[in-house]
Amino acid sequence: MDEKKRKIQAIVARTLFIIAILCIWEIVAKSGIMGSNSELIFPPLEAIGAAFIRNFQTGMAGVSLWVYIGNSMALLLEGLLIGIVLAFVLSGLSMLSRVFYDIFNLVISICDLLPGVALLPVVIIIFGVKPGVIVFLVIHAVLWPMARNVLDGFLAVPRIYVEAGMNIGLKKSSLLLGVYLPAATSYIVSGLKVGWARAWRGLISAEMIFGVASCPGIGLFINQMRTNMNNAEMYATLIVIIIIGLVVQYGVLSPIEKCTVKKWGMSR
Amino acid sequence: MKKKSIIKLAALCMSSVLLFAGCGKSGQGTEETGGEGKEAAGQEVTLNLAYQYGIAYAPLGIIKEQKLIEKAYEEATGGKVTVNWNQMSSGADINTGISGGSLDGGFMGVGPAVTGVTKGVGYKIFTNLSGQEHGLMTNDENIKSFDDLIGSSNQIALVNIGSIQHIILGLALEKAGKDPHSLDSNLVAMAHPDGMTALESGNVSCHLTSSPYIFQEREESNLHEISDVTEVWGKDDSFIVGVASVKLHDENPKLYQALCDAVKQAVDFINDSPEEAAEITCEFDGNSAEDELAYIKKSKYSVETSRIFELASFMGRTEFIDTTPESYEDLVFDNVTGD
Repeated sequence: MDEKKRKIQAIVARTLFIIAILCIWEIVAKSGIMGSNSELIFPPLEAIGAAFIRNFQTGMAGVSLWVYIGNSMALLLEGLLIGIVLAFVLSGLSMLSRVFYDIFNLVISICDLLPGVALLPVVIIIFGVKPGVIVFLVIHAVLWPMARNVLDGFLAVPRIYVEAGMNIGLKKSSLLLGVYLPAATSYIVSGLKVGWARAWRGLISAEMIFGVASCPGIGLFINQMRTNMNNAEMYATLIVIIIIGLVVQYGVLSPIEKCTVKKWGMSR
Repeated sequence: MKKKSIIKLAALCMSSVLLFAGCGKSGQGTEETGGEGKEAAGQEVTLNLAYQYGIAYAPLGIIKEQKLIEKAYEEATGGKVTVNWNQMSSGADINTGISGGSLDGGFMGVGPAVTGVTKGVGYKIFTNLSGQEHGLMTNDENIKSFDDLIGSSNQIALVNIGSIQHIILGLALEKAGKDPHSLDSNLVAMAHPDGMTALESGNVSCHLTSSPYIFQEREESNLHEISDVTEVWGKDDSFIVGVASVKLHDENPKLYQALCDAVKQAVDFINDSPEEAAEITCEFDGNSAEDELAYIKKSKYSVETSRIFELASFMGRTEFIDTTPESYEDLVFDNVTGD
């Protein structure tokens, strides 16, 4: 009963918060606080709504926003998958070899600090000009925070679990899969959350700087709208980005969390 | 319990309201300082200007170094003006700055300037600044004309989709009897230096760029130029223009006039004594003095616009912009000469 009440309370609070923000937006847009250009800087909600529909219907240069989203998501998924698999493999290897751990730890510390966008010129020289560059940047965005989390998770596994595993005869890789991996799940899930957010942001910012017109993504779309001063369309695209982010957060990540760490009582 | 949650909720709403009210207020604040103050002799006013990077902006180095705006304003009114120079990376950024009221004017490519005027950002072109050479360079011997590019998978690097370079490509395509957008799917947007690197390393097959990069690329033996682009929009045609907010023009005409005079003086100075000018602007641009002089001599600095209405009509006709300006006067203030 209390649980249910708590849920309703959360929904009400969130809805009120969003309504308050929308009201303030509309007031700023309509009142002309920002001077004669109010409508241009803060387009009213109905203009943004119309632009939202227009983005999907006519889009830019006759190409609907769906196509841009599709391109972006394809690149993102590719990078995300490779990044996550690499993070597991490399963190696993560092649990098996002390030397590898020392080196990998240093590599994570170095690379996690490098913004992907700053690497862009180097990546272009090495990989050339193709959508693969974006995939590379997504991998870069997701791999290091993910690996850091997985590694921290492995290191936080209580000694007694590991020894129990050894007692029943588990060796290197079976110990990794049988003890370390399940015991580190809560770290892995939070790594997934951070990795996803980093990848999503990295993707959009890379696309805004480096636009391949044969494979245009959401970042390129925003940049175009900005160049053409179509601010309503630009805000509408930002809303699309938020919606996609929320769908992944509540549609993919939360269920994963519910089926694992929450079910197992590792986190509330 | 229930009471507590209601209080919490109210607090949340209040804090969000306060947060946004704060934003609105600070926005207003910038508008006031970004504006021009009142027209009174001796009163201090501020002028916020934005510019971009490169040889095409050389006169601004002179204006900045010799404080031409400050001098012209003091001569006219006896008052003092503080000029804030902001370096920004694209015309779109400057457009946003002016529409938000934090900038009074700026210098940008004629493409984004036309976009801004027709979109109602609240500014017009107050002067021409310079014309530069542009060219389409390729590293592939088999590419000789647009026919070798249209429908192929060859990639063309240029600074931005919708940039002046993109529009010039459209103009050249139309002149050659092709669809102005027929190469759009071959474009790759990247900054000039990145594009040059990509062309030299063979990662893209073409690069459409402007001076000084075009001069550097022309010197390389393994690259050649596709002349259609070079011919359609040369250094005699407007490339960089200055824009000023209508507010500045209407509410502080003396400051506006000082700005125009300063640009005129700097342009005259650069044309009369390029050697001296190069000494000053080379630091601004990070070139050696000899290179700077050579680039200046290959550029055209003038306050008179050239073919901007033709360009704007083309942009409207080929859907680079949504609204087509009806006349040259829609684009510029009354004091501007040219076409």
